[in-house]
Amino acid sequence: MEVAMDEANDFSRCNFSTAAAMDDYFACAWNNWEQSVADVGPFSASADADDFHDLVESIVFADDVDYDPSTGHFSLPQSPSYNSNTSTCTPVAEEEEHNATATAGDDAKGLRLVHLLEAAAEALGGVHKCPDLARVILVRLRELLGRGGEGTSIERLAGHFTDALQGLLDGGRTSLRDGGQHNHNNKMEVLTAFQLLQDMSPYTKFGHFTANQAILEATAGDRRIHVVDFEIAEGVQWASLMQALASRPGTSSPHLRITAMIRSGGSRSAQETGRLLAAYAASLGQPFSFSQCRLEANSERFRAAGVKVVKGEALVMNCVLHPTTTAARRRTTGSVASFLSGSVDLGARVVTLVEEEVGEGEEAEQEQGRGFVGRFMAELGRYSAVWDSLEAEFPMQGQARAVVERVILGPRIAGAIGHAYRAEEEEGGQVESWGEWMTAMGFGKVSISCFNHSQAKLLLGLFKGGYKVEETATNKLVLGWKTRRLLSASVWKPPSPVLLPVIDSFEDSDFLFD
Amino acid sequence: MQNPPAPFTSALHLALDPDLFSADPIRPWAADLLRNCARAFSERDSANLQRLLWMLNELASPYGDREQRLAYAFLQALFCCATASGDRCYTTSLAVAERAISFASTRRLALKFQEAAPWTTFGHVAANGALLHALDAVPAIHIVDVSDTFCTQWPTLLEALASRADTDAPRVRLTVVASAASAGVMSEIGVRIEKFARLMGVSLEFRAVVAPASPRFADALRPEELELRDGETVAVNCVSALRRAGTGGSRDAFLRAAAALEPRVVTVVEEEANFAGVGEFAESFEECLRFYGAYFDMLEESFPATSNERLALERESFRSLVGVLACDGRGPDRVDHGERRERGRQWCRRLERCGFQTFGFSDDVVDDLKALLRRYRPGWSLLPAEGEASGMYLTWKEEPVVWSCAWKPK
Repeated sequence: MEVAMDEANDFSRCNFSTAAAMDDYFACAWNNWEQSVADVGPFSASADADDFHDLVESIVFADDVDYDPSTGHFSLPQSPSYNSNTSTCTPVAEEEEHNATATAGDDAKGLRLVHLLEAAAEALGGVHKCPDLARVILVRLRELLGRGGEGTSIERLAGHFTDALQGLLDGGRTSLRDGGQHNHNNKMEVLTAFQLLQDMSPYTKFGHFTANQAILEATAGDRRIHVVDFEIAEGVQWASLMQALASRPGTSSPHLRITAMIRSGGSRSAQETGRLLAAYAASLGQPFSFSQCRLEANSERFRAAGVKVVKGEALVMNCVLHPTTTAARRRTTGSVASFLSGSVDLGARVVTLVEEEVGEGEEAEQEQGRGFVGRFMAELGRYSAVWDSLEAEFPMQGQARAVVERVILGPRIAGAIGHAYRAEEEEGGQVESWGEWMTAMGFGKVSISCFNHSQAKLLLGLFKGGYKVEETATNKLVLGWKTRRLLSASVWKPPSPVLLPVIDSFEDSDFLFD
Repeated sequence: MQNPPAPFTSALHLALDPDLFSADPIRPWAADLLRNCARAFSERDSANLQRLLWMLNELASPYGDREQRLAYAFLQALFCCATASGDRCYTTSLAVAERAISFASTRRLALKFQEAAPWTTFGHVAANGALLHALDAVPAIHIVDVSDTFCTQWPTLLEALASRADTDAPRVRLTVVASAASAGVMSEIGVRIEKFARLMGVSLEFRAVVAPASPRFADALRPEELELRDGETVAVNCVSALRRAGTGGSRDAFLRAAAALEPRVVTVVEEEANFAGVGEFAESFEECLRFYGAYFDMLEESFPATSNERLALERESFRSLVGVLACDGRGPDRVDHGERRERGRQWCRRLERCGFQTFGFSDDVVDDLKALLRRYRPGWSLLPAEGEASGMYLTWKEEPVVWSCAWKPK
C-alpha cells in the first residue's frame, strides 16, 4: 500500500499544478534516450551533425554534381557514406584515401576560408548590407582559424583579413585574435620586421634601387642634388643612394641634401632619421645635409613655398607610396596630389614614384565592378601572392615570416581594407593609380634605362625564382610574383608651368578624405 | 544529473565560449539568408543555391544558439528540397525515432516540456476545462483521445472528476487513438493510468488503438473500432490530431466520423500554422519561418542551454520541416507525415461545415489558463479568437502558436 501511495503521489505530481521532480517516477537510465541504433544513413538521428555537414558540402563543392534546371534538383552523390549498410573499405585503400585527402583537405580548407571571407565582405559592404550576418560569419572564421599566430600559411593570411573585417564591424573597438592592437608593437620589433622583409624579399629594394638609379641618371653631372622625400621613414633608400654616390668612380661626390616632409607628430622620428643619415654620410665621406618641411596641419597638403631651394641644385622629388613600415598611414589623395603637383612649382628635374600596382586584365575588371567586395578580393589576391612569395623563398623560416606578417603585413592589410571600405562611402575621389593620374596631368615619361632594368633583374636573381620584373611602359618597371603584379616604380618629368591653372583647380576641388 | 552523451560536449564549447558569444543579445541573421536560399531554389538558380547552401552549412549548427539551430533545421529541409530526397529523409528519420522510443524517454520528454513551457499544457487545461463543463453530471463517459500526448492530459481530469463534491465519480472509458510510432509504449502507459485512476477512486477502463494511415484516418472513429456501448456519453479529444488526417477530403471525413459518434463535446488543440496550402513555395516558406522561428525562440528561452530535451524537440522539428517543405505527397515513396497544420480559422470553417458549432470557454477555464501562464517565464499570453475563428490562442511574444477550441454537434 505504501508503495502504491508513493506512486499515486508521483503520478499526481505530473500535472501542471505541482512542480515536484518527476524523476522518481520516470527515472530512467539517461543512456536509454540516445541509445545507438543501426546506422541508416546521414539522416539518422544518431549520425553526427558532422556527417550531414559533409554531405551538404559534397554537393556544393562537387564538380560533377548534376543539376536539373527543370526540377531545380541536384542529384546526390553515390558515395558509400550515403548508402546505408555497405561494407567498409579495405585497410590499404583507406590509408591511400587518407593521404590523398590530407592535401586535398588543406586545399579545401583554404578554399573554404576564401569563400567565407568573400561572404563576410559581401555581408559587410556588398549591395545588401547585413552586419549581423557578417558578424556571424566572422565568428565562424575565427572558430576555423583558432588563436592568432598559429596555423598554416593560408590560415594566418585569412586571420589578418578576418581581423581587418572585424575592425570595420567594430569601428575601432576591435579585439584582434592575438589580443593586442597592432599599433603597440615596439619600435625594435618594427625595425626587426622591416629588416627581415628587406632581406627576405625584393619588395623594399626594388622601389629604392629603381628610383635611386633614375635619380642618379637624371643628376649625372650635377654638383648639388636636392631630394624632396614624401615619406622619409627610416631613410634606408638614401643610405643606398649615398653608397651609390660614394662608389661612383672619378669625380668626388656631389653634395646631397634631403628635405623630408613631415606630418604632425612626425618631427622627432624624422630628426632621428636625419641624424642617422648624417652619421652614415660622414662615415662615407659624403657631403650631406638634412632638413624637414612641414605639410599643412590637417590637410597634409604640400606647399612648394615651404621648401628651401638653392640656386644651381638639381631638385628631384621622391614619392614612395608603398608603405614599408607600420609607421606610415595611408596618405590622403589630396596630400599626394599636392606633393606631385608641387613638382611643377619647384621645377623638379624628375619625380620618382613607387606605388602598389592594381590588377590587370579580366579578373581585375570584374573585381572592380563589384565595389567593396571586388576590392576586398583584389587585396586578398595581392596579399596571398605576397604570402606565397615569402613562403616559397624561405619555407623553413616560419618564425621570421610570422614576425613580418604580424608586424608589417597584418596592419597593412587592415589599412588596405579600411581604405577600400571608406572609399565606397565617398563620392569619387579615389586614385587607384597615381601613374595614370600623372599621365592625365601631363607629366612626361622618363625612360627607364637598360642599366636600371638590368639592375632590377639582378636583384631578383638573388631569389629563387617566381619574382618577375616587366617593363610595362617606357618609364615604368613592375615587380610581380608569378602572375600577380604587385609593385611599380616609375619616373616622370613634371609638365611645363603652362598647365599650372589645371593643377591649381585640382587642388581646390574636394578630393580630401580620411 | 548525468553527463550528456559524447557527441554534444565537443560542440558545446561553441555555445559557451564567452569570446565567441558575447553578452550581446542574439541578432537575427538566419531568416534573410534562408529566404535568399528559398528564392534561389524556387527560381532554379543553381549557382546561388549552391553558394547559399554552402554558407548555411558553414554557419548552422544543431548545438549552437537559436539562429544557428533554426538555420540547421531549414538547411536540412532545403537540402532535401534541392536533392529531391525529402520522402526518403523523413522516412529514415521517423524510423530512427521510433526505434529510440521507450516509455521512460518519451514520458520524460513530455513532462520536461510541460515543466519548461505551456505549449502543451495550455491545450490540456483548455480541453479539460471544456470537458468538465460539458460532462457535468454524466455518469458514464467514454473519452476518445486522438493524440500522442501519452495520457499526460488525463491525471488532472481524473482528479477533477474524483473531487466533484456533489456526485460520485463517473465511470470512465478511455480509448486512445495513437500513431503507430507511439503504439509501442501505450500498453505500459495504460497500466499506469489505470493504476492512478484506481488510487483516485475513479473507475477507468483503458484501451489503445493504432491510428490507420492518413487517407483512412477517419476509420479510427468507426463505432465498431471504438466498441461503443449504450448509455455512455462520448467526448472526442483531438490534440494535434486533425492535421494527421490527409489534406482535403480526409480531414472533413474524419470530422464527419466524429460527428457521427454524436459526442457531447469535441475538444480541439492544434498548432497555429498553415502548412496545408499549395501556393507558392515562398509563401509556405515564410509561414514555416514564422512558426518555427517562434518555436525555436521559445525553446531557447524556456530550456537551459545544455538541455537534451530541447535537442530532442528540435530534432522532431527538423523532421517536420522536411515533411512540410520537401515532401510534396506525390511520387512512389511519398510519406503520410501528418505535418500539414492549418490555422484555427481554417479548422473552424471545416468544423462548421461538418456539422459542429462552437461553444466558448467558461470564465473558470479562462482563469485557469491565466493561472497556468503565470507559472511560466514571461513571454506567454492568451489571445481570444475573433472574427472567423473561435476559441483561444496561446501566444509567444505576441505570435499565436497554439489554438484550442471546444465544439458540439449542431
